[in-house]
Amino acid sequence: MADRRPELEESGRAKRQRTDDRDPRNNPYLAHHYDDAAASAAGPQFNSRKGKSNGAASGRSLDAFKRHETIAADARKAEDGPNNPFTAAPLSQQYFRILKTRRDLPVHAQRDEFLEMYHKTQILVFVGETGSGKTTQIPQFVLFDDLPHYYGKMVACTQPRRVAAMSVAQRVAAEMDVELGEEVGYSIRFEDKTSPRTMLKYMTDGMLLREAMHDWDMTRYSTIILDEAHERTLATDILMALLKDLSTRRPDLKVIIMSATLDAQKFQRYFHDAPLLAVPGRTHPVEIFYTPEPERDYVEAALRTVLQIHATEREGDILLFLTGEEEIEDACRKIRLEADELVREAGAGPLKVYPLYGTLPPQQQQKIFEPAPPPDVPDGPPGRKCVVSTNIAETSLTIDGIVYVVDPGFSKQKVYNPRVRVESLLVSPISKASAQQRAGRAGRTRPGKCFRLYTEDAFKKELIEQTYPEILRSNLSATVLELKKLGVDDLVHFDLMDPPAPETLMRALEELNYLACLDDEGELTPLGRLASEFPLDPALAVMLISSPEFYCSNEILSITALLSVPQIFVRPAAQRKRADEMKDLFAHSDGDHLTMLNVYHAFKGAEAQANPKQWCHDHFLSFRALQQADNVRTQLRRIMERSEIDLVSTDFNDKKYYENIRRALVAGFFMQVAKKDASGKLYTTVKENQSVLLHPSTVLATEAEWVVYNEYVLTSKNYIRTVTAVKPEWLLDIAETYYNLDEFKKGEIKTALLRTQDKMRRKAAQKASYK
Amino acid sequence: MAHRQREPSAGEASDDEDDYMAMSFAEPDSPAHKETSMQRRARRVREGEIKGRVKSKAEREADAAAAQEEALATALDDSNKGFRMMAKLGYKRGAALGKSEGARTEPIKLSRKDDRGGIGLEAERKRKLRDEAGNVPNKAKFDEWDYRDRMAQEAQERRIEGQIFHAQRMAETLDTEEEAGGNTAGQGIDSGTKPLTSCNVLWRGLVLQRQADEEEQQMRRERDRNLSRFKDCVYSADDGDSSDDDEHRNVLEAKLNDRTLFDEQDDEPEADPELEEFNSLPPAERLTRLLVYLRDKHHYCFWCKCKYPDFALDGCPGVDEEDHD
Repeated sequence: MADRRPELEESGRAKRQRTDDRDPRNNPYLAHHYDDAAASAAGPQFNSRKGKSNGAASGRSLDAFKRHETIAADARKAEDGPNNPFTAAPLSQQYFRILKTRRDLPVHAQRDEFLEMYHKTQILVFVGETGSGKTTQIPQFVLFDDLPHYYGKMVACTQPRRVAAMSVAQRVAAEMDVELGEEVGYSIRFEDKTSPRTMLKYMTDGMLLREAMHDWDMTRYSTIILDEAHERTLATDILMALLKDLSTRRPDLKVIIMSATLDAQKFQRYFHDAPLLAVPGRTHPVEIFYTPEPERDYVEAALRTVLQIHATEREGDILLFLTGEEEIEDACRKIRLEADELVREAGAGPLKVYPLYGTLPPQQQQKIFEPAPPPDVPDGPPGRKCVVSTNIAETSLTIDGIVYVVDPGFSKQKVYNPRVRVESLLVSPISKASAQQRAGRAGRTRPGKCFRLYTEDAFKKELIEQTYPEILRSNLSATVLELKKLGVDDLVHFDLMDPPAPETLMRALEELNYLACLDDEGELTPLGRLASEFPLDPALAVMLISSPEFYCSNEILSITALLSVPQIFVRPAAQRKRADEMKDLFAHSDGDHLTMLNVYHAFKGAEAQANPKQWCHDHFLSFRALQQADNVRTQLRRIMERSEIDLVSTDFNDKKYYENIRRALVAGFFMQVAKKDASGKLYTTVKENQSVLLHPSTVLATEAEWVVYNEYVLTSKNYIRTVTAVKPEWLLDIAETYYNLDEFKKGEIKTALLRTQDKMRRKAAQKASYK
Repeated sequence: MAHRQREPSAGEASDDEDDYMAMSFAEPDSPAHKETSMQRRARRVREGEIKGRVKSKAEREADAAAAQEEALATALDDSNKGFRMMAKLGYKRGAALGKSEGARTEPIKLSRKDDRGGIGLEAERKRKLRDEAGNVPNKAKFDEWDYRDRMAQEAQERRIEGQIFHAQRMAETLDTEEEAGGNTAGQGIDSGTKPLTSCNVLWRGLVLQRQADEEEQQMRRERDRNLSRFKDCVYSADDGDSSDDDEHRNVLEAKLNDRTLFDEQDDEPEADPELEEFNSLPPAERLTRLLVYLRDKHHYCFWCKCKYPDFALDGCPGVDEEDHD
């Protein structure tokens, strides 16, 4: 390794000389300027090298390749070494070991077919079931043919999830025998692991969208691959619409849409009947069982089924789908208890139970890959493992050894309704497509069984065909701001695959107008332009930008970072009381935002930093979340500095220290305000007039008459979460347009605000008369 | 309802107190100046009591749910700034966005899940309710109705169904007593001893339902016993991966048909046109028939809750509930 580095770095420098002058790392959004320059510089260089036409001598087997004319055999030869075709370094033993397994993947058999189609067409739809190897192999197939590094370009492959982008990049770097972050890198929100030498970049779809805001033509890429398109994330949908449009402006750009089998024709149709290539996955048949009648309690039914499988079925691991962390942890506990009893009383084999959900720490997520326990006695009943998971095990994570799937038919899904302006996660029935995907998980290693905890009739009649794409279930204000920045002016006729309900767009435009990011004509304002620089919700971005006016941009920056990461407070079921006591140490009586800020300040203090992990553990705080918040804060600070937004604080001993912060919160969240009812128990949201309760986790005492909230959560009750007390005067003062009382419906809130207005006028008049 | 619509839309907010009162007590038809001071005081006390009364949890929840329901059913109107921006781009109310055909014009409905009922349970419950009610509601008509009216209508129907149930029980008891010579006060008949069709059609449905309930209980008990061998009993298998072809579908259908056959044999032993006809009558009509039957046959008035000595039912104000107010 060591002797390889210097040569590598040299070649990198030679190829992209301008890198060092401009140092684009400090300014990633300007990097594309540099890429343009490099492209034109690299062209002739490439030609001259081609003129020598002696690839083998330089150790670069790709020099002789003709772009978009290669066949699988060429690539195969280059892959066989002995030197790395991209770096010219000698290839390692591990490389050849992996290469052997790679060539066994289903996609490999169709490499020539793929290349032929890739040569012929600009947009290609590629369908491969999970396990076909498409995510890791197709981008490499493209590299060998597209040769982006000779043209100063890159190949991008998008992923819906951060974790997938990171782990796949790591895997592919190993497959190509290069260091992660060099030839193969990744880019996710708040983390960029690429270098000037990067030719293949895995990134979240959201990141590519953000890049496009500064580079409408996506000039730094020669091929863009949208992976997992069937998941239909918000960003993927927007990217598809942009690429559909861009493909006419940039005929040299190639686009590959990759999807699991579902709904492939829909993609073809959307992209002007683009050709399709399908690769079969490696799956075994799965036998499906339904219940004869609907279940009264799906969790209870699920537990029963898992235990029955364990007691009666042949060996093979179990995957149970449930909806959320709490439900999963609870189910795990119960299964363990019951399984122990089965072992004792019925002589069943050992059963290991693992939870799996997004917020689980990585090292615990890794546990699901541990093999099942052996039988207690030789030739005794088989031991097995049971993974209880959210729908992340549906597509994104593959667990080998699963033979039995238990599917109650629910998952937590995001919903948005523009009429009440609520975006929340709700337990909802899955779609038929999801149910099939879940069942398919049982057939990865050998023929399996899927137990659906509903009737076949319910499957046919109650489940929708496809899960609604995210764009139909989301608040679009951030997206609309991005689109405006992307130069999309006619949002009404923007050619999306599944356009959202008109009211959703209406609300987004209205919200952006109230935030002063769009003017009344719908044009981007300077504030809007600035807000779009931040990878944040517009309300958060506006709050951050206006915070210097309240002399607390440092503090608001911290709060914004804290609001952008998962929950920082940990509350294990067994130690709730202790956890609450610890939280009280940081509590600020005016609200949760201030409490979080106190936590952050303590976390950054000398005492905590001496051993931050232990400190967090002792105080029931998530070390991971706080660390992440710290990282996010650094990234956001850079953007602020670049945008010349002052970083200021009020003196901590000033009695206005916290008040200023609360005022600054109003500047962003004036549309998320609720007032306490006369009854004193419920709150009512301003303008939408929805009754809500303070979330039980709040530190806020119920005296607060007016509160801003960060989140409106729908469960069996309507909650507002993360709340801080504010004053009605501030609302009228800071958000004048939104609080134009003429537009308010008659009611308690309007009456109270009118009274406040009178009071303010009287005070102002008094002041004036004194002068 | 009516006065609410006539309320002035602006300028009323200058006097806070009046505004306050208007929320619950706007009565434009009774001018305030006719009020004497005594009356005013009485009114204020009354109003204060109402206002001061803390609403029960259930009331508050019902209010909140109604407010949410209403907000969800109300589309954003043209005064919305976003709408105006969209209109400038050529958007017309009621149209969809984008270029593809068939895009949605309404937001996806919010459906909240408050319990752990499995998929299909809710539909099953509704189906059972409908079967019990025995009539098919006129869907097209329902859609046109305002939500509140529909709820009121449904509540009224439920109330009548409840009254029918009680009237049926009464009729059954009286008939049975009479049959037994009036010397036992037995609660209903033993469903096993007599063929169903010999029961009076007016309360035959009641007996049928009771039998069905007993059977279901029996089945549930049996199922619970069999759980340990669940593979044979709890699940019905269909072979192979269901993401596939016709051959497989045929197997499914065959299995499904098997089950349907099985169900029919078990739950609906024979057709009963007489009962069906009775059940297809509107609830109010069924109730009336029962009431008249009770009066004619047993000289019993359902509303007075007593038996009269003779056919004249001397002292009873009439057949209908309103007569008994």
